[in-house]
Amino acid sequence: MPLSFLVPLFLAGALAIAIPIWIHLTRKQRSLVVPFPSLMFLRQIPFKEDRRRALHHWLLLALRALVIMLLVAAFARPFFSGEGALVTVGAGPTEVVILLDRSYSMASGERWGSAQAAVSEAVSSLGPLDKVSVVVFDQGAEAIVRSERDPTRARTALDTIQPGWGSTRYGPALKLAQSILEDSSLPGRELVMVSDFQRRGWIGEEGVRLPAGTKIRTVPVAGQVTANVAVADVALRRDRFSGRERVTPSARLVRTGGEVPVDIEVSLDVDGRELQRRTVTLPAAGTATVDFKPLPLGASHTRGTVRVPPDDLPPDDARNFVVSAGSALKVRVFTHAGAPDETSLFLSRALGISTEGTFDVEVRPWGAGSVDGLTAAEVVVLTDVAFPGGNRGAALKRMVEDGGGLVITTGESGGWARDMDNWLGTRVGVPVDRGGGRIGWIDYDHPVFQVFKGPRSGDFTGTRFFRYRSLMIRDSAAVLARFDDGSPALVERRIGKGRVLLWASTLDSFWNDLSVQPIFLPFVHQLVRYASGRGETLPWFTVGQVLDVSDARAMASAGLLQVTEQARGLEGERVVTDPEGTSVRLPGGAGPHYLNLKGAGFYTMRSLKDGEVQPLAVAVNVDLVESDPATMDPEEMGAALAATVAEGTSDGDGQAMELQRADIERRQSLWRLLLAAVLVLMAAESIMANHKSTGTATAG
Amino acid sequence: MTHHRPQAHTDTQGARFLDPKVLARIDNLELLARTVVDGFLHGLHKSPYMGLSMEFAEHRPYMPGDDIRKIDWRLFARTDRHYVKQYEAETNVNFSVLLDVSSSMSYGSGTVTKLDYARFLAASLAYFSRRQRDRVGLYTFDSEVVEHVRPSVRHLDQVLHALERVEPGRPGALGPSLFTVANTFRRRGILVLISDFYEEPDALVEALRPLSGSRHDLIVFHVLDPAELTFPFVSPASFEDLETGERFPVVPEKLREGYREVLGAHVAEVERRVVGHGAEYALLDTSQPLDLALFCYLLSRQKAGGGRGSA
Repeated sequence: MPLSFLVPLFLAGALAIAIPIWIHLTRKQRSLVVPFPSLMFLRQIPFKEDRRRALHHWLLLALRALVIMLLVAAFARPFFSGEGALVTVGAGPTEVVILLDRSYSMASGERWGSAQAAVSEAVSSLGPLDKVSVVVFDQGAEAIVRSERDPTRARTALDTIQPGWGSTRYGPALKLAQSILEDSSLPGRELVMVSDFQRRGWIGEEGVRLPAGTKIRTVPVAGQVTANVAVADVALRRDRFSGRERVTPSARLVRTGGEVPVDIEVSLDVDGRELQRRTVTLPAAGTATVDFKPLPLGASHTRGTVRVPPDDLPPDDARNFVVSAGSALKVRVFTHAGAPDETSLFLSRALGISTEGTFDVEVRPWGAGSVDGLTAAEVVVLTDVAFPGGNRGAALKRMVEDGGGLVITTGESGGWARDMDNWLGTRVGVPVDRGGGRIGWIDYDHPVFQVFKGPRSGDFTGTRFFRYRSLMIRDSAAVLARFDDGSPALVERRIGKGRVLLWASTLDSFWNDLSVQPIFLPFVHQLVRYASGRGETLPWFTVGQVLDVSDARAMASAGLLQVTEQARGLEGERVVTDPEGTSVRLPGGAGPHYLNLKGAGFYTMRSLKDGEVQPLAVAVNVDLVESDPATMDPEEMGAALAATVAEGTSDGDGQAMELQRADIERRQSLWRLLLAAVLVLMAAESIMANHKSTGTATAG
Repeated sequence: MTHHRPQAHTDTQGARFLDPKVLARIDNLELLARTVVDGFLHGLHKSPYMGLSMEFAEHRPYMPGDDIRKIDWRLFARTDRHYVKQYEAETNVNFSVLLDVSSSMSYGSGTVTKLDYARFLAASLAYFSRRQRDRVGLYTFDSEVVEHVRPSVRHLDQVLHALERVEPGRPGALGPSLFTVANTFRRRGILVLISDFYEEPDALVEALRPLSGSRHDLIVFHVLDPAELTFPFVSPASFEDLETGERFPVVPEKLREGYREVLGAHVAEVERRVVGHGAEYALLDTSQPLDLALFCYLLSRQKAGGGRGSA
């Protein structure tokens, strides 16, 4: 194999070999001068003239010259090139992408250890030209090593990874792998999937298209399915007792696997202390419900955890929740002056009946002074009141635009000023008499009607409508329900931060019999609650969700904040502490400022501005789909992924690729050997030179 | 014809006064000469040198200031009076020292250069001769005569003074110098030639021809430094000729044996030629005491005086 040099310019340094030769030759002239009476006899000694120019200590000179030569050669970076240095691989150099499942199911048994070993083996089997990427995934994907030739870096990164809290989803990981493989310039491509292949994580190829020639290899690490108990859900039923709100937790346990019923001890922790403990018998592959005693709610958030003893899959052995005392929704119902009590009777009575939140209802006739009640109201209900003009109308508009809710029910005294049509996005027309009209269409995806979506959740079709007003809709309004003749029954328009809901009929017993239907109460509750903009209280979030903590009102809508006082307490810079105890500062001011809920447990937030404000807590639980032990056949996934591989062949199949000169030199690293030889020779030169000097001094 | 090789100096009484290293500490040349001569003569009866005698001439009464070592104690025992011995003095002859002061004579591997050694010797011989009531003179030369003091009974001080002032000069050449010197002698005398003789033997013989023969008693002292004799050098070096300034690269270990052979041959040849012309020859090592040289001189004087040495 011919010898080549990566930096041949350094070979010019070989001229430095002349230095020791020159020193050897000229040294005599500058050496010791000894005065002697006469050279008469020295000249008479027969010797050759060229002795004057003779080089002595040949070996020392040769050593020094060799040191210089080797040093120069090392800097010139030599390597053996030629055909022998070409590397022929079956498919040439390969871009290998290893997908490593780190969902929380991988923490079960020996799965994670097996997975690490499989990845390590895949890395070790790489050729000198191959590149490797390691992508860890759960519901998201992250490339911890990308297109790296040095296998050491991949192994080092692998040592830092542990199973997380997320659930399995293959789509994002496959898409990331696709982008890595597409960006690669190597002719070979390979995808290695290391996972327990949970079926719930596979929802099809999700649009993944792997480059042509990509080889698929699946490495299953799922062991035997062992019995597992999970706290699947915690229901929190609210009620009031002795004027105080309380919540009664009820936990649902799910057991997979097992052969015989087992007794499980279930504990309830509140604010970090175990308060209650129950024992429940769980059948094999069955469920059970555990009821705890009611818990009184304090002013601040109450953190609770229902947990079972740890088993093979610990993340689903606990379910966290946060509850807080609810505050009454301030509702102001205005009737037209002189209206009979029945106009608002059914509405006020219905709002007075509530178990999960209270409505603070006040009924007034609309008239002078009505503006005063608007600032404190969260929802204003105008029952058969023409939309006011002047200052009162303007105040009402401001209330809505600032985030309040307005529910308008029509009646006999309807009528609006023309300019209100634009503001409402609807023109209220004349009453329409119907002999017994019905609701013909409902948007069940809308939050008002969502709770009625399921079977036996409520039937609007039984309600008869005798009279309603026609509504002419503008583009800015949305129809939420229609009568059977197609006329809008319920219309919504968002104005500013608030919303207006326009009901084409009444909420009393005059124009319809809705008020005597079972559906009336929940409908009115949903209507008013939706109009207020308040979100449903969320006892917990799921790992992987993202929370925008910059908008206190949004957090209140999300159910994290119940009162504006708490919202104001979060203004400015905040500190968030995750379940691991790590604190992060979030800046104040306009956001968004996202909080990624990556781990299960409690996140606490406190304001740095006002330390007296109680910290807020957010409970986060794992997604229970990961606890489903059902797996899919790895070959099935492999076949599904193979079907996504583009047609054609990759570049350079079976061809040898000539290494870059730098790559060849880097692998051979002959310069290291040369430098080692230089060190050895310099040591020998030092020893030899000292020996010569010592011998000369002794004899002198 | 006699010739003498340098011998290791034995432990004789007074020998310490003849050690060149000791003599080098004496600043005054006259004192040095007197020290050498007196020390030599005092120890002469213990000297290992054979064949030399001092003939007793007569007694005279002791006078204050006489050397008490000359008191004849046997006579004192017999007569109960102090008498000193007196030896026969030489007849009045010219004694001249011919001293080579060429630049090669400035060489010395130790504390004493060849020129210093030659000066000590010349001073001692002059002093000794003056005690013999000879007429003493001095001629210094390199490539030509540098300085001369005509032999006279009153010139000892001048001789010693000239010896003190002598400095190594130019490259030497025996022939022209000795020819000039020889032409100044009108009377027969004793000539002592002191040099390192860096001349070819043929040229040397030619140089000595005017001096040798029946007219003069020639004593040749060949003075060499121990380094010139043994060539003890080890380190490769450039050797610089003190007379020409020329340099010559030398690896001593390679040339030592050859040098000794050449030098030895040269010394032998010089001796042969000198002795062949009827002169006395002695090779002097400047590290050795002066007693050998003095012994040679006295022996020569004795022979010249018909077997009667004098003091």
